[in-house]
Amino acid sequence: MIDVAFVVFSLAAVLSGYLVFRVDSMIRASFLLLASFLNVGAVLVLLLAEYLGTALLFMMTVEMVVMALFMVMFMMNPAGLNPMSMVHQPRAAALAGLAAAAGIWAVAVFADFPDAPVVGADQAVRDLGLELLGQSMLVFESAGVTLLATMVCAVVLSAARGRFGDGYEGSVAPPLEPGGDHRPEDDLVDTDTGGHDHGGH
Amino acid sequence: MGGDGVDVPAGIDPLHPAVALVVVTAVLGLGAVAAVVLRRVVAASLAGRGEPLSAATEALREARWLAGQQVVTTERPDLATWILAPAAYLGLAVAALAVVPLSAGVAVADVRTGIVVFGAAEALAIVVIFLHGWSPNSPFALVSAYRFVAVALSYELLSMFVLIAAAVPAESLSIGAIVDSQAGLWNVVRQPLGLPLWLVVSWGVTFSGPLAVVDSADLAGGGGVEDSGLQRLTWAGARAAMLVVFAMAGAAVFLGGWHGPVLPGGAWMALKTATVLAVLVGGDVVLARMSAQRFVRLAWGVLLPLAFLDLLIGGLGSL
Repeated sequence: MIDVAFVVFSLAAVLSGYLVFRVDSMIRASFLLLASFLNVGAVLVLLLAEYLGTALLFMMTVEMVVMALFMVMFMMNPAGLNPMSMVHQPRAAALAGLAAAAGIWAVAVFADFPDAPVVGADQAVRDLGLELLGQSMLVFESAGVTLLATMVCAVVLSAARGRFGDGYEGSVAPPLEPGGDHRPEDDLVDTDTGGHDHGGH
Repeated sequence: MGGDGVDVPAGIDPLHPAVALVVVTAVLGLGAVAAVVLRRVVAASLAGRGEPLSAATEALREARWLAGQQVVTTERPDLATWILAPAAYLGLAVAALAVVPLSAGVAVADVRTGIVVFGAAEALAIVVIFLHGWSPNSPFALVSAYRFVAVALSYELLSMFVLIAAAVPAESLSIGAIVDSQAGLWNVVRQPLGLPLWLVVSWGVTFSGPLAVVDSADLAGGGGVEDSGLQRLTWAGARAAMLVVFAMAGAAVFLGGWHGPVLPGGAWMALKTATVLAVLVGGDVVLARMSAQRFVRLAWGVLLPLAFLDLLIGGLGSL
């Protein structure tokens, strides 16, 4: 039963991973990648890595939503709605992928894995916790704080409203022809209702 | 990986699949009908029109009428995603329900990582709701999908922090253990910020009440504007089912679940679920929709710090 489930989830993971590069939209590609991760999460649960498996489902889902949305937001292709190819440098990528896969398969086939079952699953969790929050805590915490600061900065930079007012404040439309005059009526925001009287503040 | 000799950690025994199917269908089916009827009755009585009873039968008649209608599609939709989205949303409600105990020692599968599974179902619901709006290839539906994600990323963090805060005194991620830890004092008392924040999350996941940003009137029906017939009915039913599941989780995590005098555990759980459900449905009727932008500001500026505070209270309380 577990073997059948393992085969089903593994094949589904590989197939959806392959389809990521066959579809023609960022949204489809992102969520097929998510499907691949979900299947890997299911395999981890089968391997009795319950927490890692379910946490993978949770984290990858939020990550893929953010990734899909940001890719669409920052793409030249309007809203990511036009069909587009999901590959570049396909030959080099295929070679690199095969080399990486060969490496992993080689490890799987030739490596000498310990086959002694873990005595008491909770002990392994405790060891992992000590590792994360003991000797290596400074490294993990610094990385965590750095990532948090990055996220806060990204939000601040992309927010339409900042501490100095609206994000459009003071933005000036470019002239229609090179070296031409700036036309206030092209500006994104009407600064006031008093027509084009910019000196009146 | 033969399945033999693997030492699966002991917890509550999961229900037999056949029993689980009956239990899940009964809880979600009855709960969803109750939620829809309750909403109609509350709305009708607040508006001072019609008999409450006729509002209830009207809902059921409308459901039967919808089921018989033709399903129409748009030009070049992503058909598979569109058709599967309501089913997937219902499936996520079922998955989330599975880890919530129905009474002492009774749960479909009270796994050790209960709140992580619940959170994963909640996160996947964002994907499903987004794809449901994205797939019909229709402008209003698309707008609703994108603005929902902005709202969803804001409430998602609240949910994580209040659930973790509840897990701290229980020293376990299992929802059954979280209920056990409330034998002396319910979480609604020792972590008073948890339940209100949970209500916000529940409205978010079911896009109702103040967070009704998906199928809403300001976008001429938004995510559901192109839905018709059975598909529309499934989507509405799945949404009601999800509301019930979040009410159950709220009852288990914050209101002490099956704990209570005299009555059996299952009855207490049902009563508390009904109470949370009534608050959620009442809020859905009474509270005005917030614009997505205002909610995002409120969530990151006020609610998220409150969630941190909740976590701090949870941590200090269990020292």
